[in-house]
Amino acid sequence: MSTFFDAWHYDGKSAVRRKVEVQIIGTQFYLLETERRHGPFAFSDVEYVTHKVDADVYGLKATDGWRLMLSGPVPADLNAMLPARRNYGGWVDRLGFGKAAVAFTLASAAAVAIVLLSPQWLAPLIPDSVDEKLGDALVGDFGGRFCSTPAGDAAMKKLVASLDANPDDLQVEVAKIDMINAVALPGGNVILFDGLVKQARSPDEVAGVLAHEIGHVREKHVMQALLRQMGLAVVLGGIDGNSGALVNNMLSMSYSRESEAEADAHSMKALGGANISPIGTASFFDRLSEMDGSASSSTSDNGIAGYMSSHPLSRSRKDAFEKSIVKGKNYKPALTPTEWTELKTMCTQDRKAKSGFGFDFN
Amino acid sequence: MNDDIFQRHSAFRFHGSWLEFARIAFPNLLLTIVTLGIYRFWATTREREYLWSKTEFIDERLEWTGKGIELFIGFIMAFLLIGLPLIVIQLISQGLIFRGETILAAVITLMMFLLLFYLTGVAYFRALRYRLSRTYWRGIRGGSDDPGFQYGLAYMWKSMVGWLPIFLLVPWSMISLWNDRWNAMSFGPHRFSATAEWKPLMKRYLLFYLVPFLLFIGAVVFGISMAASGGTPDALGGTGMAVGAIFAIIGVLSFYLFLPLAALAYYSKYFRLAVGGLRLHNLEFDFRARAPDWILFFLANIAIIVCTLGIGYIFMPYRNWKFFVDHMEAYGEINVDELTQSETVVAKHGEGLLDAFDVGAI
Repeated sequence: MSTFFDAWHYDGKSAVRRKVEVQIIGTQFYLLETERRHGPFAFSDVEYVTHKVDADVYGLKATDGWRLMLSGPVPADLNAMLPARRNYGGWVDRLGFGKAAVAFTLASAAAVAIVLLSPQWLAPLIPDSVDEKLGDALVGDFGGRFCSTPAGDAAMKKLVASLDANPDDLQVEVAKIDMINAVALPGGNVILFDGLVKQARSPDEVAGVLAHEIGHVREKHVMQALLRQMGLAVVLGGIDGNSGALVNNMLSMSYSRESEAEADAHSMKALGGANISPIGTASFFDRLSEMDGSASSSTSDNGIAGYMSSHPLSRSRKDAFEKSIVKGKNYKPALTPTEWTELKTMCTQDRKAKSGFGFDFN
Repeated sequence: MNDDIFQRHSAFRFHGSWLEFARIAFPNLLLTIVTLGIYRFWATTREREYLWSKTEFIDERLEWTGKGIELFIGFIMAFLLIGLPLIVIQLISQGLIFRGETILAAVITLMMFLLLFYLTGVAYFRALRYRLSRTYWRGIRGGSDDPGFQYGLAYMWKSMVGWLPIFLLVPWSMISLWNDRWNAMSFGPHRFSATAEWKPLMKRYLLFYLVPFLLFIGAVVFGISMAASGGTPDALGGTGMAVGAIFAIIGVLSFYLFLPLAALAYYSKYFRLAVGGLRLHNLEFDFRARAPDWILFFLANIAIIVCTLGIGYIFMPYRNWKFFVDHMEAYGEINVDELTQSETVVAKHGEGLLDAFDVGAI
């Protein structure tokens, strides 16, 4: 079989443009110039390159710059041997644009859903040893900022034991940092900042916050958040810069709100079990709400502000803790007055503990 | 080839239309959204295929032969080799701050910054190399055998030298780095030679550099003359205050107006000098856009983006390329017999580094 068809050709060796005729012989072809014959070339090596002006441009596998440019109506037998045109790229061209768009949408939604939901099941599967190592690596001795006195430690031990059934796998410490804050970190590490202990008006308040952080530990929230953040970073890695980070923050924020509510519930339960009144924790959130401004707005219209922040507004948390008070129940203080004083002054007494962060000036 | 063709019009001509481009850009946008951004590598490739195929050099269109998958692999590599280690290093340095090892954390952060600085230089180089190696004209491509690691070092020290004397040597570092980059590139068998000079750039740079000072001096002179012409704003009462406010607004506006204008005037001269110093064998290049062209171009870009509420952003690759090609000139002659295939190596992955750092090429 032999067909002749006019075409332009670059051999990839020099920039000379050659007018050639295509001669097809079975699955191979020659390119004939007036005084030269190029080939044979196999049709199976021909690749689609691009379309320019009115010509389709084909290349040859493993021959850099080899080009065959066909314009005008291409004979059917030649056309049948040539590879298909590429438009969007492999998958999209095979499926068609509409189907591909739908398929991609579903795949993306599934990927995001997996990343958001799977940490809840994955976090408990992570061995405790990994969790502990991570905690040790992250916390260590906190740069020598943990406060310790025999009496203070005993008071803290008592508090933890009253709030949790397995106090041995928790490491609760007070850090000499003047901030009203507390954190739960991997490996059962809970750190109360001295600023929070100092401003608390009763041991019940500290108990409520501590039980909240223990709630984070027991519900495996720390590992969940870590896994979720990592997953989102990978899935949303394709979106560039700010919009990706924004979506990431919004998604993980809504989950951390859920975690905070769970930790609050855990706290109320633990307080109830220990016979400690939740009123102290409620008044703590009341004072916090004056600081974060949520007290000034009425409870009904704090929807947006409450949704955007990772912690539920202090005002609504105060209400929840107040509601958990059981009337007529005989609550007892979390610590005796002496124990409370020892805990409260632990960081003042312990002169060896370093204060603040390394980078501040006090 | 004899080149009286050069006398009639530029050797570079652009034949694209924004309507045709829209038919590529809108489906690209949709597919990019539904794939959480992953499609953007294929989107970029399709856009370049179009733009290159609509660009005529002398008598033949350019060809873009890059593949989406190359960009994607480059991105994945950058993520694995740089992104992940960065996240780990950040975690470690946070842990170190927790533990009070502030100096060690600072050293690690500094090392990280230096590494990123170095890799940014390498990324600029490799992006240019990638683009040249995927650009074909008459079956011949460009490229470079230099992997760009040396250039990364040059990028570091030359940028530092540029900044050290209160940023006065920035024009030197920019031109010198441009020359370094292009002197390592070739097209076909010919090496580019880049001999742009930096001294002619200083006047424009000083203009840009001094704009804030000139505006400040202007404001002071104005204030003094106001005071001298009788009366403080206080004595003039309400009208005086209003006049003062208006002038203050004009002052702020002119700061935000003059500074970008001066920056564009500088960049216009920089690009003109840089391209003007380029040579490829017997070809010389020229970039004809002057400061007013650049200013109009940017104002139009801003107007398009604002008026379309941001959607017009997808046309920016088209506008940038059109602006570039419309103002490019080449003089001299090409012997197509001598223009043989490039023997430079072809990397299998593209622009990942550059993509990771989110900077533009050329």
